[in-house]
Amino acid sequence: MSVFGRFYDLTWRRVRHFGGVSLLAGQIVPRLSTPPFQLREVVQHLETMGVRSTNLTAVIALFTGMVMALQTAYALSAFGAKFYIGEVVGLSVVRELGPVLTALMVGGRVGAGITAELGTMTVTEQVDALRSLGADPIRKLVAPRMWALLVGLPLLVVLADAAGVIGGLLISVWELDISPGFYMSHTLRLMEYSDVTSGLGKSVFFAFVIGVIASYNGLHAEGGADGVGRATTDTVVAIAISVLVLDFFLTKLFLAL
Amino acid sequence: MSQDGPVDVSVRELHKAFGAKQVLRGVSLEVRRGETVVMLGGSGEGKSVFLKHINGLLRPNSGFVEALGFLVSELPEKELVPLRRRVSYVFQQAALFDSLSVGENVAYPLREHGGLSEREIVDRVADLLAQVGLADTEALTPAELSGGMRKRVALARGLALSPEVILYDEPTAGLDPLIGSAITALIKQVTAKTTATSLVVTHDLRVAEALADRVIFLHGGRIAFEGTLHDAAGRKDTVGSFVRAGGFHG
Repeated sequence: MSVFGRFYDLTWRRVRHFGGVSLLAGQIVPRLSTPPFQLREVVQHLETMGVRSTNLTAVIALFTGMVMALQTAYALSAFGAKFYIGEVVGLSVVRELGPVLTALMVGGRVGAGITAELGTMTVTEQVDALRSLGADPIRKLVAPRMWALLVGLPLLVVLADAAGVIGGLLISVWELDISPGFYMSHTLRLMEYSDVTSGLGKSVFFAFVIGVIASYNGLHAEGGADGVGRATTDTVVAIAISVLVLDFFLTKLFLAL
Repeated sequence: MSQDGPVDVSVRELHKAFGAKQVLRGVSLEVRRGETVVMLGGSGEGKSVFLKHINGLLRPNSGFVEALGFLVSELPEKELVPLRRRVSYVFQQAALFDSLSVGENVAYPLREHGGLSEREIVDRVADLLAQVGLADTEALTPAELSGGMRKRVALARGLALSPEVILYDEPTAGLDPLIGSAITALIKQVTAKTTATSLVVTHDLRVAEALADRVIFLHGGRIAFEGTLHDAAGRKDTVGSFVRAGGFHG
């Protein structure tokens, strides 16, 4: 195949993939808002995706907060302004780092899990079996996982925000001789309600995108175990890129509001 | 089986391609009520692809598929649900739900389509499992079952809603001859008991010999032969070679 042919083929496949993901997103929304909601399955997935991600989220956010504090102190010391560390760490974590890092880490872990589960069901014809029994795979398989993500990711972001701020606090106290009270009062001084809600708002969008990409790749896996492996890798890459690109546009949007 | 009964499944000029690969090139077939048609053919000839068009799991590129009065090839997915209550599909690899127990797998269509109390569902599941020779296995998981047991559970699940048409995809594939014969005998027993219309795709001639009212041979994306296994064995072409190579000499 010529270079042009290959370029055309690749572009066409990407367009089809994007179209397929968009169509699936459109099919998921009405199923999220109409009964039955399968609460038992939602709780099960919330446990698998959310509760089991708490350690990962807390550790990553804690160390990110600590590194932020160290770097900020280094940069601000040159201007004699290291006492503003609370404001910088707090706002950075709550507005940006908390939601984005949580979406990247948890999204990779949970998204890969969703694709692997659905992909295995697809290549072993379990999804076809559901359809042949008159059941709706999107309602049965995708909607409960999506609800678990939509509820679980914002809760994990709250955890990440707290862990990040605590990380900054630890460095401020141990390394910079700033009292905990002083750090916390500065952290909360500039922080507004909208800073927290914009971070949590982002996480809802991230959760939806993670769920759609992971489900689409799982439901379209083909070629046995090898195909499921490829679909899982594609999911991790696509989620990482999508979260970062979406973050830019959501940041613009929330700043404009 | 009546030669003049109503047509339960009608396929006209079915074409199906996956990308550049043309799998079906104008397949037409009618199956009458209560009839058991066995579709033979080599691996990769499109037998399973054909079968998946009957209940709308696949959509044709062109052509028409009609089953029990539903124009399957034209209806959206949602409108196929009533048809899928009446047409069951027994998958090649059983396709049991890994996360559910044997009992829950068999109960799935009963719970999905409602109408029965939990007590009635439990009784019906026990009855279905007993029919396929797997009484008291409700609590087992699919991972604990052998290949033959999985096929039996898939058959029990397929019978749960008392279907009018049953589609069997390679019912003996991957089984040793003894278990394969047992599954074939079970299907024969089910067919006799339920009077359901059956369409079986297989490359196993013992299945065809035991079950078929009529044999169809799919080759090169087209129906290359239609008749009895005995007639097929007497042919000099690919059909005859296939049947004789399978150990059937009429």
